[in-house]
Amino acid sequence: MNVVFAVKQYVSKMIEDSGPGMKVLLMDKETTGIVSMVYTQSEILQKEVYLFERIDSQNREIMKHLKAICFLRPTKENVDYLIQELRRPKYSIYFIYFSNVISKSDVKSLAEADEQEVVAEVQEFYGDYIAVNPHLFSLNILGCCQGRNWGPAQLSRTTQGLTALLLSLKKCPMIRYQLSSEAAKRLAECVKQVITKEYELFEFRRTEVPPLLLILDRCDDAITPLLNQWTYQAMVHELLGINNNRIDLSRVPGISKDLREVVLSAENDEFYANNMYLNFAEIGSNIKNLMEDFQKKKPKEQQKLESIADMKAFVENYPQFKKMSGTVSKHVTVVGELSRLVSERNLLEVSEVEQELACQNDHSSALQNVKRLLQNPKVTEFDAARLVMLYALHYERHSSNSLPGLMMDLRNKGVSEKYRKLVSAVIEYGGKRVRGSDLFSPKDAVAITKQFLKGLKGVENVYTQHQPFLHETLDHLIKGKLKENVYPYLGPSTLRDRLTPR
Amino acid sequence: MASLDDPGEVREGFLCPLCLKNLQSFYQLQSHYEEEHSGEDRDVKGQIKSLVQKAKKAKNRLLKREGDDRAESGTQGYESFSYGGVDPYMWEPQELGAVRSHLSDFKKHRAARIDHYVVEVNKLIIRLEKLTAFDRTNTESAKIRAIEKSVVPWVNDQDVPFCPDCGNKFSIRNRRHHCRLCGSIMCKKCMELISLPFANKLTSASKDSLSTHTSPSQSPNSVHGSRRGSISSVSSVSSVLDEKDDDRIRCCTHCKDTLLKREQQIDEKEHTPDIVKLYEKLRLCMEKVDQKAPEYIRMAASLNAGETTYSLEHASDLRVEVQKVYELIDALSKKILTLGLNQDPPPHPNTLRLQRMVRYSATLFVQEKLLGLMSLPTREQFEELKKKRKQEMERKKILERQVVLESQQRFEERRSDLASRAANGEVVSLRGGPAPLRKAEGWLPLSGSLGQSEDSDPLLQQIHNITSFIRQAKAAGRTDEVCTLQENLRQLQDEYDQQQTEKAIELSRRQAEEEDLQREQLQRLCEREWEREREQFRAASLHTRTRSLDFREIRPFQLEPGREPRTHLAYALDLGSSSVQSSAAAETPNPSSALEPARVWSGPPALGQEFFPQSMISQQNELASLNPFDEEDPSSPTAEGTISPPAAECSFGPSVSILKEYNPFEEEEEAVAGNPFSNPDSPAPNPFNDEDEHPHQRPSSPPVSGNPFEEAPCTNPFEMDSDSGPEGEEPIEEELLLQQIDNIKAYIFDAKQCGRLDEVEVLTENLRELKRTLAKQKGGTE
Repeated sequence: MNVVFAVKQYVSKMIEDSGPGMKVLLMDKETTGIVSMVYTQSEILQKEVYLFERIDSQNREIMKHLKAICFLRPTKENVDYLIQELRRPKYSIYFIYFSNVISKSDVKSLAEADEQEVVAEVQEFYGDYIAVNPHLFSLNILGCCQGRNWGPAQLSRTTQGLTALLLSLKKCPMIRYQLSSEAAKRLAECVKQVITKEYELFEFRRTEVPPLLLILDRCDDAITPLLNQWTYQAMVHELLGINNNRIDLSRVPGISKDLREVVLSAENDEFYANNMYLNFAEIGSNIKNLMEDFQKKKPKEQQKLESIADMKAFVENYPQFKKMSGTVSKHVTVVGELSRLVSERNLLEVSEVEQELACQNDHSSALQNVKRLLQNPKVTEFDAARLVMLYALHYERHSSNSLPGLMMDLRNKGVSEKYRKLVSAVIEYGGKRVRGSDLFSPKDAVAITKQFLKGLKGVENVYTQHQPFLHETLDHLIKGKLKENVYPYLGPSTLRDRLTPR
Repeated sequence: MASLDDPGEVREGFLCPLCLKNLQSFYQLQSHYEEEHSGEDRDVKGQIKSLVQKAKKAKNRLLKREGDDRAESGTQGYESFSYGGVDPYMWEPQELGAVRSHLSDFKKHRAARIDHYVVEVNKLIIRLEKLTAFDRTNTESAKIRAIEKSVVPWVNDQDVPFCPDCGNKFSIRNRRHHCRLCGSIMCKKCMELISLPFANKLTSASKDSLSTHTSPSQSPNSVHGSRRGSISSVSSVSSVLDEKDDDRIRCCTHCKDTLLKREQQIDEKEHTPDIVKLYEKLRLCMEKVDQKAPEYIRMAASLNAGETTYSLEHASDLRVEVQKVYELIDALSKKILTLGLNQDPPPHPNTLRLQRMVRYSATLFVQEKLLGLMSLPTREQFEELKKKRKQEMERKKILERQVVLESQQRFEERRSDLASRAANGEVVSLRGGPAPLRKAEGWLPLSGSLGQSEDSDPLLQQIHNITSFIRQAKAAGRTDEVCTLQENLRQLQDEYDQQQTEKAIELSRRQAEEEDLQREQLQRLCEREWEREREQFRAASLHTRTRSLDFREIRPFQLEPGREPRTHLAYALDLGSSSVQSSAAAETPNPSSALEPARVWSGPPALGQEFFPQSMISQQNELASLNPFDEEDPSSPTAEGTISPPAAECSFGPSVSILKEYNPFEEEEEAVAGNPFSNPDSPAPNPFNDEDEHPHQRPSSPPVSGNPFEEAPCTNPFEMDSDSGPEGEEPIEEELLLQQIDNIKAYIFDAKQCGRLDEVEVLTENLRELKRTLAKQKGGTE
């Protein structure tokens, strides 16, 4: 179930199948992102892929000595581009791979365009999602809903992404969805529809425990994304922003030119892979170790290369050294910037109050803390708005709710209208009325005792008290305790499947 | 830990599968395995557990340090990400995802289309050939037109009022033009022209390719262009204005397109660009390196280790060769990089990019591979290395020999031990008496298991370790470590408690099941008992001893689910008849039992009821060393033996398997030896006579591998026993029974206190059983 590996395997297979010789990889905007997440340039260079071209780029030269590997989403535009390409082929031979199901008629029109018989392969390889980590993928859709309903384009893209995921992992799952969310249900139905339609694609070896696709809606837990996180990857994402493993550091004061944009990929950055889920403090110490290591390996600056042996050693160590120096300077810069932002925005204090808002039920102390922070000039308007949003979500129906007062404070602080609007929006989005579950007061006895014990023991780390609601949901799922009236199965056929004895 | 942590390390030889310790010989490995890892699955679990513990410890330490550094962030105990959140390496292997090919579909559609296309192209080329077959420059326009019209019928002017390509209306100014290749009409703007050389190229190429005409095309183009711009003919009314290019052929865009494509194809066939030639060479070199480099590395490694498998000269030759290839790669890629840089229209940026990329990848390749090319030792160094290695080898050899000798010695010892015992047994069997006794053998495992009983429980071991760690840490004054360690210790102890409790519960449950059976059998057995009284006396006493031994052996063990009991039970019921079968059955449940069937058979008796209280106590004492109970052990079996030996036997058959000091071979032989003579007389009697001999034996407690088969043979010591008098021992036996009853009462009290009701029940049941036995015994003795 490793999505990075799944996509990587697809790409490797494409390259392998095209045989030896110089190659060009012809992609569209989205597949470029998909491939770049799993392969680095140098990695792919070693497989004789020397050029990367966009199918929609007009300025492509005829290079008949290259083989073309086309990895494209099966959109209408792409098919059109490809038809044009095949009419006047720029490369000697074409291996065409679509990242999802393509219609028979599209295949036909492509075939008819291939008058020069340059196409050697037409296949569907279902790498139609951005694989971020082995267990995490994204479709890079910003804003998939209008109100509570799917945008039709986004729904279809999400359905395609999910079905491609299932195919690439060779799973034909049972589907459960969050009953309280219409969007989740809709998506579940669409996925089911595709599975039914392409049933022969989804015929995989049955496993004893059938795989499960659980579709959740973020509105069930609006709290988690509002909190500041303290692990490396999460912090970078939150404070700097990661986009297809790329981080834009151009706003960092005094940044050197070659560090304006850095790539953080666990696939080929060992330090990142080892530290991405560690918390900030640990990374600090690890980066110190990394530096020390580096200092040791560093060839003495003004070291005289007196003997041939010296020179040899230097030359032999240099590439390693250079690679390491790249890693070191990258992470030092990133962590340095994170740490700067943390102190500049007073995030430790903010986070503490955020956690209190999320995990504890002491209204007066919470209110007091929020008010105090709103007075603090170091707290940015963004963080201030988030604090008020958290307060609004938690104490939405509290008897002494003083949200209006906080809103006034926000206005006095000079927080812009844009942010202030978000407070009411978030309640509408993820308030009590919407939520299928109770985020703040545990219901069952186990959870209550757990919380009680936690209270007794004291909190281990004030910045990481909060546990995402997802954690509990998955825990219940694994233990088979996920309630069917809250997360029902989709469709009678799956029900029958489920009930047949294995 | 280090060896476990490093998966990259590959070692071979007699490695212990659990701790990766390298042992020189098979014997050593075996004895090592028995000594260190006889607890098999438990131990593995223990290992993993300790690993996890250590990892946690390390983590905690790290966090602590960090916490001090950044006091206010206070991040201790943040464990949810200790393992990086995910470890995809633990996930199941993953094959390539689903794929679907449309190639056959595609080809089908294309084939239909291609046929059409090929026909079209060929048609055009044939027409073109006809159009250029005569000397256009010296032919009258009218004639040309006639020929042109004969090649393809022209579309009627009247039928086409608008240009089909651009849609403009034809008029006097915007005249109609005919395509000479297909006869269609277009306006002047949309008209294309085909020069004669171009036409020639196409037709000659197709002639060549078809190789139908060997004659080179007549060269109508020899004078081409010479008359360009001259007025050709005034006679043609329609073409006064623009019919001045007879050396070119008019055609429509579509035909021109088709012909251009055709030309391209022809060009490609002939032309290989320089970059491709160079690139092919480059790839060849890379392949060569891929072949040679590993060979060289193997040589260099071997030479650097002082081995003499390869010659130094050969290696350095190879090194030079490889290096030369690298240089060639470098040179070739440089050449590729600079290709066409000096050309006048500079090459397309993409071409340059391609060249840069090829160069870059070549550089990467050289960098990566060249780094792996270790250097060779110089001649003097090599000599030195050789010497060193020789010494080392010798040292190693000696060491190994020693070790092998040692372990062989041990092996021999056991063998002789066994032999003597076997001899003993034979003698015994010759005498024909029952009740064997092999003190030496019986004791071995006992003492072994006693000595190690603590250690063999990985949990206890771990607890031990941690306790000592804590001591050390305290001494070193590292208080925070002490804290974490103590935390660990607590966890471990909790775990241990839990385990013990589980054991006890498991036991009591099984017992309850068995007791029903027991009662049924009891009666039948009693009958037999009376019948065979004489021999049983001896055999049974033997069994008692065994039981006491087994008990100790079992303790460090997690009880295995009583899967096998039925077989044993059957055996016990059948008594005399089916020993072979049962020993076979005994082999199944436990892997180690395969080595020692006899042992397994011996193990079972008496534990059922006795172990239970035992474990309860040990549970209460948590770390209780087990020794204190030794004295009790023997006593309980007595009680047991009388009541329900068969049942007891059933329950524990499979679980006896730690025989640390035992050489498996021994056992095997025993089993083999034992089997043959076991059947006739031995089994049935043993259980029921225990009472008599029991106390007598206890002090020495020579637990034979209570194998029924063996009991038959070894008469010797036993006869003495029986001689010395069953009579005197009875009262002591009774005492023991009473003692046992008292014990159980105490346990019941304890269980009640702790609120373990199910245990109370079982215990009460036991108590009743004991009392009954006591009563019966009294009756019997009277």
